[in-house]
Amino acid sequence: MSAVEPRAVDGAPDVDAAPGAVPAGPRGSAVVKVAFPVAGMTCAACVTRVQRSLTDLPGVLDANVNLATNRATVELERGAVGPGDLVAAIRDAGYDVGSESAQVAVEGLRFAGDVAPLEAAVAAVPGVLAASANRAADTLRITYVPGLVTMPRLERAVAEAGFVVAAPIAEADPVERERLARSREVRRLAARGAVAAFAAVLSMVASMPLMGVGGTGTADLLVRLVMPLHHALARALPWLYAVPPQQLKFALFALTLPVVFWAGAPFYVAAWRGFRHRSADMNTLIGVGTGAAMLYSTAATFAPGVFEAAGLPADVYYEAVSTIVALILVGRLLEARAKGRTSSAIGRLLGLRARTARVYRDGIEVEVPAAEVQVGDFVSVRPGEKVPVDGVVRSGKSAVDESMLTGEPTPVAKKEGDEVTGATLNTTGAFVLEATRVGRDTVLAQIVRLVEDAQGSRAPVQRLADRIAGVFVPVVISVAILAFIIWFDFGPEPAAVWATVSFVTVLIIACPCALGLATPTAIMVGTGRGAERGVLIKGGAALEAASRLDVILLDKTGTVTEGKPRVTDLLAPHGPSAALPATPEERAEILAVAAAVERLSEHPLAGAIVREAAELGLELPDAADFEAHEGRGATALLGAHRVAVGSAAFLIQLGVDIGPFIDAVDTLAARERTPVLIAVDGLPLGLLGLADPIKPSSVGAVRALRRMGLEVILVTGDVRKVAIAVAGETGIDQVESGMLPAGKVQVIKRLQAAGKRVAMVGDGINDAPALAAADVGIAIGTGTDIAVEAADITLPAGDLRAAVTAVELARATMRTIRQNLFWALAYNVVGIPIAAGLLYPFAGVLLSPVFASAAMAFSSVAVVTNSLRLRRFAPTFAT
Amino acid sequence: MHVAQFVVTVAGFAAIGWVLWYFLVPAGRGAPRPPEGGV
Repeated sequence: MSAVEPRAVDGAPDVDAAPGAVPAGPRGSAVVKVAFPVAGMTCAACVTRVQRSLTDLPGVLDANVNLATNRATVELERGAVGPGDLVAAIRDAGYDVGSESAQVAVEGLRFAGDVAPLEAAVAAVPGVLAASANRAADTLRITYVPGLVTMPRLERAVAEAGFVVAAPIAEADPVERERLARSREVRRLAARGAVAAFAAVLSMVASMPLMGVGGTGTADLLVRLVMPLHHALARALPWLYAVPPQQLKFALFALTLPVVFWAGAPFYVAAWRGFRHRSADMNTLIGVGTGAAMLYSTAATFAPGVFEAAGLPADVYYEAVSTIVALILVGRLLEARAKGRTSSAIGRLLGLRARTARVYRDGIEVEVPAAEVQVGDFVSVRPGEKVPVDGVVRSGKSAVDESMLTGEPTPVAKKEGDEVTGATLNTTGAFVLEATRVGRDTVLAQIVRLVEDAQGSRAPVQRLADRIAGVFVPVVISVAILAFIIWFDFGPEPAAVWATVSFVTVLIIACPCALGLATPTAIMVGTGRGAERGVLIKGGAALEAASRLDVILLDKTGTVTEGKPRVTDLLAPHGPSAALPATPEERAEILAVAAAVERLSEHPLAGAIVREAAELGLELPDAADFEAHEGRGATALLGAHRVAVGSAAFLIQLGVDIGPFIDAVDTLAARERTPVLIAVDGLPLGLLGLADPIKPSSVGAVRALRRMGLEVILVTGDVRKVAIAVAGETGIDQVESGMLPAGKVQVIKRLQAAGKRVAMVGDGINDAPALAAADVGIAIGTGTDIAVEAADITLPAGDLRAAVTAVELARATMRTIRQNLFWALAYNVVGIPIAAGLLYPFAGVLLSPVFASAAMAFSSVAVVTNSLRLRRFAPTFAT
Repeated sequence: MHVAQFVVTVAGFAAIGWVLWYFLVPAGRGAPRPPEGGV
């Protein structure tokens, strides 16, 4: 067995074929985006450093590194930079790329001489870190960077080397992979933390007899607290107090060795690695802090004479070293677990997928894994089953619970020709669908990608934290040295001890972690929660913009209204001069007659009538002798009866007495409904009112938006009269009518010029320019067509109330981010001076390094926990 | 003791200057590559 080093990438890198690679620009552009894991980052300074090392590469346009997900997303010019360059840049910065291993069964590995060429061929694939073949087991183990290389590319490399891959290489499920990595990290931290904690408790006890002998004595808050314990212990374990102090010191030294050399080793290794690359982070602070305490104690143990000669007590701080390491490891453990929960939304989304599908192959129904369904396959879906892929119903009918897509719990009726979405839940009926989108193209896969991208993105508000984090650690080290000098020069005797304690305490209490986690954890939880609530947010910038809106523009057709005309009123004659809403029987009769005629018409209003009849499941009689009268109506023969459908003027012209409907026609017209009359054999049968009805949810949504302090404006291409009627019914007081798409953009520009931050809500097709021009474009898409490109926020439910949820969620997330940043800054601004001993001249109190480590561990856990509160975000409208 | 204080003060400020220079002044490229393997 041997391993082969990755090779520098040659001319044609494979990034464009990588699984995470998507064209970042328009189709055919030379810009691609790749995402891959980064290992070894602990704080905001690391993020800045990795990001800089990536953007410094020629050909990299943008790099985005996320501490919460431990992932880097890089936008690069196709062909200018390869995976090998990215890996090298990360390693140059003192970090590493996260890697995955795959075990591949290879046929044809017969001779010892086969091994090296095969390994070399696979290791040469860009994105592969190592390849080692095992001839005894006929396997090849490949270590690769997920996101930088595809499985088919690896299979091709094996084939090109002259071998056969026995089975397709299975890539680890990204969610499962992350869960495994997370649990590995938790286990590792727990083991190290347990050892450190065990040593810490023993050291505490064993160092009790040494306390109060000298040093900082009663000024140390911790010593004051443990004083009663000290006396109790002296009574309980008198033999411990009988051990000579020097022997106790040796015992403590031995006890601390495993803590420093094993439990805390990652801190020192990372601190050293960072130091060599002129980068300082969290590990530097911990390493220098505990290292200084350890060195001081070791010297005091083995060369106490030097201290005594200088008039200093030979104090030891072994218990502080162990306790600090233990507390920080516990903090990291809690943080790792909490960070795992911040990304749980993706896991839940992917958990919605159906595992298997029943596909017709050669006329026989066979069960196959859902991933193997092909476009064009006919898939049978039984009651209670998940729909495995996106498709069109070809036979049968049912109601499907689409709440995963829209947040709307009421099942939606599906019949032949209707689209169904994968991962939605079939309720009562059975149907057969023809697969139209599978695998990465399904709506669910799109949603997951969108949420993943959003969770990995950064908000502009993070820039402040990044700027601080970039200089944080060197500044803190300087403050610690300054504290040392001041204590040494002006402090009470023994000044060297006081100086060392405050030096260590300042290093330990300072915490750039909280600063680094403040924004990304909140964005992860916020966008994840949004996805569960039918609000798909494109990223941190969109979230931030949505939290600061002044004006929200609502497109009328399709956003406030349903977007297609419907029969809103149906009246039947009641005596010679009055009309009343039709009874169900009358309704069926009127609609059947009208639809039988209109079925042959091409007028858009005719479609609304036919649709209404179809939804009621009415049998339509056959019409003959159809005649359309342009812009006025139509006539036809139904059996022996002559039927006329059309405007009031048309029927009057035909000699029909429309007496019962005269008033109703006027009322409907005043309400912006289009009246359509039906007459049979010259007698009036009924009156239909047609309109593009306002969605029932729009009124409440507009009210909520206004209550949130937003200015609401209705924009529409429709005429002013209709726009005002719709605005009046929904409670909107400003209207911009007669707008072409370019006109909507001008309205937005005008508002923006007046200093307002504008959101545009539209259905994403003709509104695309306006969506792009607005500060926040919100695409509202009924059904499955997610207009991801132009919009910052997508609301698949097509319900305006989701826009309210989006704004509420954005505000809640930004509030959380501000709280986190405030806490992280305030913690350091207050904690560091106290640790330096600022309170000593006034209160005679100096913080113990042990306290400092507890405070530090708590500060980053507090930030992550605060972000997790967003998981309980409850919108006004439970859509 | 005054000598010790003088030495600590001078060395301390020199250390501060060095720390700020070492970590904050951008390093030239071509720094040594770290060994293989993660934390």
